[in-house]
Amino acid sequence: MTRVSRWGRYGTALGVAGLLLAAAGCAKATDPSSGGAAAAGGEIDEKAPVTITIGDRPTPDKPNDIKAFEQKIKDFTAKYPNITVKSTETKWEAQTFQAQVAGGTLPTVMNISFTEPANMIPNKQLPDITDELKLVDLTKDLNPNVLKIVQDANGRIYGVPIDVFSVGLAYNRALFTQAGLDPDKPPTSWDEVRQYAKQIAEKTGKAGYAQLTTNNTGGWMLTTMTYSMGGTVESQDGKKSTFNDAPTKKALQLLKDMRWTDNSMGSNFLYNQEEIRQDFAAGKIGMVLQAPDAYDMSVKNFGMKPADFGAGALPQDGGPHGTLTGGSLKMISPKATKNEIVAALKWIKFDQFDKYTTEALAVQDAKTTIADKGFVGRPGITPLSQETYDQYNKWREPYVNVPVKQFQGYIDSTTSLKLLPEPSNKGQEVYSLLDPVVQQVLTKKDADIDKLVSDAASKIDARLAR
Amino acid sequence: MFQQRTQKSGRSVTTWYRSGGLSAVLFAVPLVLIFLYFSWGPIVRGLVLSFQKNNLVQAPEWVGMANFSYVLTDPQLPQAALNTLYFAFLALVFGFPVPLFLAVFISELRRTGWLYNVLSYLPAVVPPVAAILLWKFFYDPSTTGVFNSILGWFGIGPFAWLNSQSLAMPAIVLEATWAGAGATSIIYLAALTGVRTELYEAAELDGSGIWSRVWHVTLPQIRGIILIMMLLQLIGTFQVFTEPFLFTGGGPNNATLSILLLIYRYAFINGDFGAATALSVLLAGVLCVLSVVYHFVTRRWSTT
Repeated sequence: MTRVSRWGRYGTALGVAGLLLAAAGCAKATDPSSGGAAAAGGEIDEKAPVTITIGDRPTPDKPNDIKAFEQKIKDFTAKYPNITVKSTETKWEAQTFQAQVAGGTLPTVMNISFTEPANMIPNKQLPDITDELKLVDLTKDLNPNVLKIVQDANGRIYGVPIDVFSVGLAYNRALFTQAGLDPDKPPTSWDEVRQYAKQIAEKTGKAGYAQLTTNNTGGWMLTTMTYSMGGTVESQDGKKSTFNDAPTKKALQLLKDMRWTDNSMGSNFLYNQEEIRQDFAAGKIGMVLQAPDAYDMSVKNFGMKPADFGAGALPQDGGPHGTLTGGSLKMISPKATKNEIVAALKWIKFDQFDKYTTEALAVQDAKTTIADKGFVGRPGITPLSQETYDQYNKWREPYVNVPVKQFQGYIDSTTSLKLLPEPSNKGQEVYSLLDPVVQQVLTKKDADIDKLVSDAASKIDARLAR
Repeated sequence: MFQQRTQKSGRSVTTWYRSGGLSAVLFAVPLVLIFLYFSWGPIVRGLVLSFQKNNLVQAPEWVGMANFSYVLTDPQLPQAALNTLYFAFLALVFGFPVPLFLAVFISELRRTGWLYNVLSYLPAVVPPVAAILLWKFFYDPSTTGVFNSILGWFGIGPFAWLNSQSLAMPAIVLEATWAGAGATSIIYLAALTGVRTELYEAAELDGSGIWSRVWHVTLPQIRGIILIMMLLQLIGTFQVFTEPFLFTGGGPNNATLSILLLIYRYAFINGDFGAATALSVLLAGVLCVLSVVYHFVTRRWSTT
């Protein structure tokens, strides 16, 4: 009896404490809303003192970058004395980003990937910055094609794209030469890809072509292939799937043929982004769908010889259809007040866009990049108007340390291929449901493509309707 | 003391105070508060979250059971549940006897026991991520992969290992068993030292061999530990995450998608914390029920 009563007492105490805790938890959970309401109500005062926190501070292993970064902050605060700038090393990573949003630890400004806004805009995790953008006179500089990534259906803007790329075909020039192919002529159609892959596999024993398949990259690349065959994945309004038709099936059939008929895809079919770049850099893969930024990781982290890296256009099937875009943008914390948003946009303009219009800044930027063993001149797509970008590249020409000629195929495609954004509604969820489709085609010889695609479509439709 | 306490309240409070009750409470308070905040706090918060639509930025919106109905109708859930059960089953069939056998084997060795002890415990010292990367290398599906080369000497294979829908899960269990056996066998070894040696002597006098000694003396004597380890292992295997996440990302064709991996995808890929916590709550519920059932089913054999 006594034992029970003692436990009873402890139990009551625990229960009371638990209730208190629950109450505290609830109180905390409602906090952000009150903060948000206050922020929305404020009037913009450009002269009022304001403090912003900037993410992506260079890590201590890049002393020159840090020096330049700090100098930039100094210059910025000299120009805008009412703005106080703090900085953190916080940067975007696919695996931890949602946790950071959840933890409320985001700085006022930071870089994030193009894949995020599609989910964050409807989730109200990004502030509407359309009016503030006009105020700091940034809107006109931005490439309208790219801006679509950060707009909602009404054309309101929720972020500032700063770095853009599109998916192309990365290929190993050394393997091309070994297989008797011309390393300056990457394939431009999927038929050629199949033929080249077979040739590489037969002559070198390596995988002629490899495909991303795990952690949503399978769906991501199937979407890219579908686009290149003239198809789409989601309807315009994002309410229905549209891939249960010829282009997607053709893409899967191509993979199936390369895998099972030609046996030109090697033996590993579970690849995420890092693993595939690792094997590509190690010379185990002839061709793989990648944006040109794969160059950085392949060369810097995995020791690929710069001379072996080639970047071609995304192969097409039946006329130029387009390619999938990616890149990074500057996001502003959803907790920022109006004044903070304006200050943050001024910083973004100062930090990211002034260098495109001022020769001294463009050159300085190139010099610091080189001093920290970074890459200058890797081709990409401009977040700005083409003339501004060409001028900027001209200034930096003497400092280019990337074999730009080996990117020629890709560079040509940047003007000929349309930039197609990722599925607008629940993109990552769609990808995660498409991963197994690609995996099955590559690992199960008797996979029924029609059935796989229609099953995936009905699953995805159920998700999109939620 | 308890009798005193149940008598007059005035007197019992003084007694309680005099016998150091207050300082005991004062000592306990920080511990209890920290425990409540850091251990129970997240549990309560998770429970609350599972009934909300919450992006953790805006004000949360109460959605009732919507998160639960969403995860229960997710076509991926049956697959994930089956995979997790399959993993638990394989881990039980292969992973459970191995450390037990190891422990009995090591305890039988008088002189070199320490060596085998070190060898079997070594995998537990290797960080899981490093171990998995190493095994991924072993499981290289090409003919030049480590396992495929070795099997090739005997004319077997090559196998696709992680790339095969049917082999991926057993391959993961093999690694998990290798990684977990050492730590578990240490616990069994500790339990084995508690077995009274007279029992073995008596058995030997009765003319029993080594196997019947193990079967009739050792195992019954350590059954309490065995039962607890089995429950811990069951709970552990139901929460398998690291291995499928790093080995296969859930593939091929979701063949290694575990429940925890699904929860991870909800939360950190889809940003749907409501669905993630709802599934977590469901999993926790299932594990609670499982533990209670296990307790009653095994009570007859239990030593406690």
